[in-house]
Amino acid sequence: MPAERAGYTVSMFVVDVSKSMGATRTVTLPPGKNGEERFAEMTHLQYALQYVKFKIQDMIYNGRKTDQCGVVTFGTDETDNQINSRHGGYENVTEYISIAAPSATTLRKLDELEPSDVFGDPIDAMIVAVEAQSKHLGNKKTWTRKVILVTDGEGPIELEDWEATAKKLNELNIALTVVGVDFDDEEFDYVQDNKPDFKRVNEEFFRDQFCQHVNDSVIGNLDRVLEQISLPDVKTSRSTLMQNVLRIGDVDTRTEEAMEILIKTCKCTAINRPKSFKKFAIRPKTAREEEAEQQSMDVDDDEKKVVTYAQLRARTEYYVDKLDRKDEDKEEQVKIEEDAEPQSEDLEKVEKEELIRGFKYGTSYVPCPEGQFPKLPTKKGIDLIGFIPEKKFRREYSMGEVQYIWGNPDNPTAQCALSSIVQAMYEKGVLAVGRWVTGDGRDPKMGVMSPALFEKVHCLLWVPMPFADDVRKYTFPSLHELRNKKGEIITEHAYLPTEKQLEAMDDFVDAMDLMEAGDKDEEGNRTEWLDIRESYNPSFHRLKQAMFHCAVVSDLETNPLPPPHPELMRFFNPPKKLVKKAQSTIDNCIKTFNVKHVPKVVKTARKDGHNHANDDDDEMLLLDRKPSTSKPSQSHSQAKITQKSAGDDSETEDDDDEILIDKVESAKRTNPLPTPARSLPSLSQSEGQYDDDSMDIDPQRDPDRLIGRTNPLADFKLNLERGDIVTKVVEDMSAVIQEVVLAPFASRRSTEMIECLTELRKVCLEEDEIDAWNTFLPEFKKECIKSSPGNKEFWSKVQKVGRRISVISDKEAEKNGGISQFSEHSAIEFLE
Amino acid sequence: MAPYDDWNRVDDDDEDELQDNALFDAKKDVILFCIDCSPSMLQLRPDPEEEAKMTSHLYAALDSAMNLQKRKVVTGPNDSFGILLFNTTRKLNTPRTEGSEIKKNMFLYQPIGPLSAPVIQELIQLLHTTQENPEELRKQFPPTDSRVAMGDVFTSCNWVIRDGAPKTATKRVFLITDEDDPHPSSKQLRISAQTTLEDLAQAGVVVEPFFIQTEDKPFDVTKFYSTVLQTNAFVDDTDLDPSVLAESISVSRIGDLLSQMKFREVTKRALFNIPFELAQGFTIGVKGYGLVTEQKKGEYKYFVDLGDRLEAAIVKTGQLDEDRQVEVDKSNIVFGMAVVGAAPSNDDDAEADSMAATKVVKSGQRPFYTADEMRTFRTLSLEPGLKLLGFKPRDTLRFEDNVKHSQFIYPDETTYAGSKRTFSALLKSMIKKKVIGLARGVLRRNSTPTIYAILPQDEDVNEMEPAGFHIIPLPFADDIRSAPIEEGYIASDSLKDRARAWINKTTIKSGYIPDSYPNPALAFHYDQLEASAFREEFNPDAFEDLTEPNVDLIHAKAGKLLKEWKVELANDHSATLVVPVTGSKRKPDASQNSIDLLEVKTRFEEGSLMKYKVDQLKAFCRSQNIPTSGNKSDLIQRVEDWCKLH
Repeated sequence: MPAERAGYTVSMFVVDVSKSMGATRTVTLPPGKNGEERFAEMTHLQYALQYVKFKIQDMIYNGRKTDQCGVVTFGTDETDNQINSRHGGYENVTEYISIAAPSATTLRKLDELEPSDVFGDPIDAMIVAVEAQSKHLGNKKTWTRKVILVTDGEGPIELEDWEATAKKLNELNIALTVVGVDFDDEEFDYVQDNKPDFKRVNEEFFRDQFCQHVNDSVIGNLDRVLEQISLPDVKTSRSTLMQNVLRIGDVDTRTEEAMEILIKTCKCTAINRPKSFKKFAIRPKTAREEEAEQQSMDVDDDEKKVVTYAQLRARTEYYVDKLDRKDEDKEEQVKIEEDAEPQSEDLEKVEKEELIRGFKYGTSYVPCPEGQFPKLPTKKGIDLIGFIPEKKFRREYSMGEVQYIWGNPDNPTAQCALSSIVQAMYEKGVLAVGRWVTGDGRDPKMGVMSPALFEKVHCLLWVPMPFADDVRKYTFPSLHELRNKKGEIITEHAYLPTEKQLEAMDDFVDAMDLMEAGDKDEEGNRTEWLDIRESYNPSFHRLKQAMFHCAVVSDLETNPLPPPHPELMRFFNPPKKLVKKAQSTIDNCIKTFNVKHVPKVVKTARKDGHNHANDDDDEMLLLDRKPSTSKPSQSHSQAKITQKSAGDDSETEDDDDEILIDKVESAKRTNPLPTPARSLPSLSQSEGQYDDDSMDIDPQRDPDRLIGRTNPLADFKLNLERGDIVTKVVEDMSAVIQEVVLAPFASRRSTEMIECLTELRKVCLEEDEIDAWNTFLPEFKKECIKSSPGNKEFWSKVQKVGRRISVISDKEAEKNGGISQFSEHSAIEFLE
Repeated sequence: MAPYDDWNRVDDDDEDELQDNALFDAKKDVILFCIDCSPSMLQLRPDPEEEAKMTSHLYAALDSAMNLQKRKVVTGPNDSFGILLFNTTRKLNTPRTEGSEIKKNMFLYQPIGPLSAPVIQELIQLLHTTQENPEELRKQFPPTDSRVAMGDVFTSCNWVIRDGAPKTATKRVFLITDEDDPHPSSKQLRISAQTTLEDLAQAGVVVEPFFIQTEDKPFDVTKFYSTVLQTNAFVDDTDLDPSVLAESISVSRIGDLLSQMKFREVTKRALFNIPFELAQGFTIGVKGYGLVTEQKKGEYKYFVDLGDRLEAAIVKTGQLDEDRQVEVDKSNIVFGMAVVGAAPSNDDDAEADSMAATKVVKSGQRPFYTADEMRTFRTLSLEPGLKLLGFKPRDTLRFEDNVKHSQFIYPDETTYAGSKRTFSALLKSMIKKKVIGLARGVLRRNSTPTIYAILPQDEDVNEMEPAGFHIIPLPFADDIRSAPIEEGYIASDSLKDRARAWINKTTIKSGYIPDSYPNPALAFHYDQLEASAFREEFNPDAFEDLTEPNVDLIHAKAGKLLKEWKVELANDHSATLVVPVTGSKRKPDASQNSIDLLEVKTRFEEGSLMKYKVDQLKAFCRSQNIPTSGNKSDLIQRVEDWCKLH
């Protein structure tokens, strides 16, 4: 089948809403959260509408104005169609939704459909649909016309003039799809039990007569169709051919010896990204609305209460700090700029029109009103630089999407020329290096071209290569060669695999070979497992599914998104059979390599602070090191991001800093030092719970936190000593205090929590985290007093402590070089 | 449509690649060059590149520093630099007013701070003067008689950095010296060097040594530095075993200084640190690095002209409910599909001229997804990590199965003890068996599950290629486009042989070396930026684009062969044909409707192009990549233009 032109289609859904469609059925739902089976009771109509809605969702999702549909229902109590109003007849057929590009409203209207008490004739309805379609399209021949009939086939069909209808469909080149509820389906291997005779007759009519007469028609069972459409679907998009020229040599002055080959290029791979979601937020009610609602509330009950979600749009505003800050303020100024969280009083809003574009050159600014400097003058074309041996090609340098390069399909000379090069390259085993400019004045790209010999056509495949600027050179310690202090090579070390380990790994690699791990082909030979040509992008399809779902469902709480299609997760794990077969080699590896997970944040695991390093004991050393935890950051805004994306990049970002801390410690260990302040008496008691093999040390510590609920104060103090992560520590501490206080049986820990608060406040005041404290405390107060169950008792204890635990006032802040929006007076008031 | 700025803005849920860049941009780097000014560093020697010229190690060191600064000023405008010289009697003219004093016989040539045009210009000026008068450096920085204690040097570094460097930055000292044994007889001084270095390390400063050796003055690391630097954290990995010598001490000739610095120019930062599950119960830790990432020009920024100076505008973005003109807090944002128009509301007074689309639901209903839900959709609830799926022969990794740049992974002992030996064994085994691995990976908390090819790379000490795995993201079925052209002319063997002849002569044996191709568009931009910052005139003619083909060489080596190939091509039976006018499928035979190239030219000379039909003209235009729009006279005009050129 030739690829269909996307869009330019009018699909008519002809939906049966007759009495029989009101019969109920039990539908198996995807398993619930704990794998329990779930069922739902719904009418045939509701079930069938799922298909219609899915089809329409697809159109909405693609958002093409030229992808239109209309809905005709039959078996309606009323009659409302154009033919009827003009000529009469065609009873119980309604043009339910007129032809237009569908929207969410279309789906909403479909939801309102109810089975009726009468029957309608499907042929009549099809005629009405075709008529409406023709009228809408006029004689636009290029548009694709589709009719989709959805019925249970249990109503009477007027069997007189159907040939004329079929003929009409053929004349108009209409593609017909008949979707039948509980229709027998050979391919699907389905036969309905106790099928009523008249339904059998109707089914046979559709299958063996009507569809036979329509040239372009398919008929299928609803269950099968629903199963099919839930499969992720790969849109095969054709790439546009772009024209360009392949230049060899100096085509301007040495034309005799130079060559220009006219070529066309197009994409071979292109990342298919999901459509972006729109952002919404609940719109707060205005006072007037509130009032109106209050009044109506007295009359009706909750039923009428509504929530409005408004779609959001990004707004960008520009501000400038007009105060001429002298050098002493420089640091601060830089900070403001980066945090994008400026103190508002010094800032002035600037209209975008008044702004000048420019670049930063260190601390100097270079204005550049156009937003860019004059561009490098380049000439459109792909310049051939030379050829490189295939063996020297470094696959890991491939930087992006791949392109086809074809000889101009309308120019035999170009095709021949390219073909000769492609063949010669293939024979010699070389790739070509080129410099690609997509249009005059565009920035050049470097790349490598590989010969591709298809059966009937030859072409090149291009992949972009890095420029010198794109390659980062890092040094890594050798994995194979270790030297001792004297510079001699060591052959035995915990970092170096032993002979036995190497053997175990060899066996493992052999055992996990995928080349015969797939299904058997027709000849019974095992095929390879994991062909990316069968791999669906899980994210893409899942997001698409989610978007579809929320477009039709009005409440996600009662109607949550079903789990992802298993096909999406097909390549998430190695094939079970293979793993089973390889299990003994895996076990051998586990035993031989003895890899141990090093628990995170082992900070508090030291018993006495006197522990000295034992140079011979790597294990010990490693356990003593703290792997990364979280990003150190100074600014508040950054910290917020960090917390949300904890584990995201934060894990690694601070490595360098962390390394240093490690080193400090190991250095210290070599010189026995008196116990520093860090050894806290409380540590040993918490140590008891630790288990080296467990994933987390403090079971009460959330994975993205530095502070656990078991012994927050100790964690707090220890983490502070590391410096640099104050914001995160403060934030975590605040959260932990609140959690503990609001948890059941909190009273037992009241004293401890007051202590924590006191310490936290002190740190906030000293470490320029005043804002954090002043934000936290009012919230905390609210939680204690207002929330349920809250902890009013604890708050009264806080009140007893008095002023010194209240919000930080401007006076206090000033003393410590900070700013606070609370006055001394309001700080006192706050606790009353 | 959203304003231009908005479509350039990085959305929080955007791609990994953008995250990579953001990551590198967010971090601040501080580099303090700490350069020895001893007599041997100042000693004039013949320039290795220009024999007639005399130069010194100090000159080369300063030159390298300047070059690095010039590069960094554009790529990392937030980074700070400084230059500290030791073993010189030069003193500050005015005592430092703020900050700490530095020790004797040391001179802070450039205090730590963000770079600006004048700072770099000053250094360039000094180098210029030195070029004219090689003795200038000795005059400027007279050497001391006896060496300064290295302990004092490290202490000064510490002070200088403390005064000038922001707290959160990664701080490094580039130590450049040619003296391998500064304190041959004093154990005391050695210990003091060691302890001061420890202090430095405690302050979070890493010392990266660049040791210079010459033929007559070899540099023996073991004499002094290997023990002193032992306590220093200059090895970039956490898992330095104290009994093992750090090997990243670079000892090189002065000529290699710049390239050595390039290796260390960018602070090595891991992009992710994740578990790599080889099999259930068999997991190691790996860190990921971006070794190839597209370097972009960088967006322009907005400035406000305040009369006396330019001030950078502070950009605030927020999500706005347009009807109410209020910004919505990020945590309250939910996600869904676009709603068209305002939903019908129960309220008759609903704003008629509503700008924002709305959706009204019953109280308690939730029509949209939360940010957390969105994340689970994106990641399919997978935690960050790599999971091995199995192995396939190396040649199954196809050229065309690529969509994005690769990343590099290296074992991490700190999360899983034993990672190194396991990783190393796996690497060896995979190289031996010529296989690649396949793995499913989610590299970060918010990234999408992807299938990666795991390509082993063996260590190559000479090429500075580290051992490790490249992980190459493979395209999904959704990302693969089919070939739109299925049929075409195939060249004859004789033509192919002619092509092969010139291909033989134009083969670069070393392969594709990225270093040979600096991005010309980027360099062109930077040069203009620099000229503008220095208030100099930019001369585009002086700009050299190294990516242009070396046509002289091509013609010298293969010109004749190319000509022969062209002649053969012209003789090919299909060469002079232009495709038939109708039908998209063509057969390689000369049909009635095709246009002969020569005929077109003849008719052009006769002025009888008008005789062609529009279809014929169009077919000809199509075959020559000429636009086919317009009426007949347009087409003829284009064909005439073409004939004039060919």
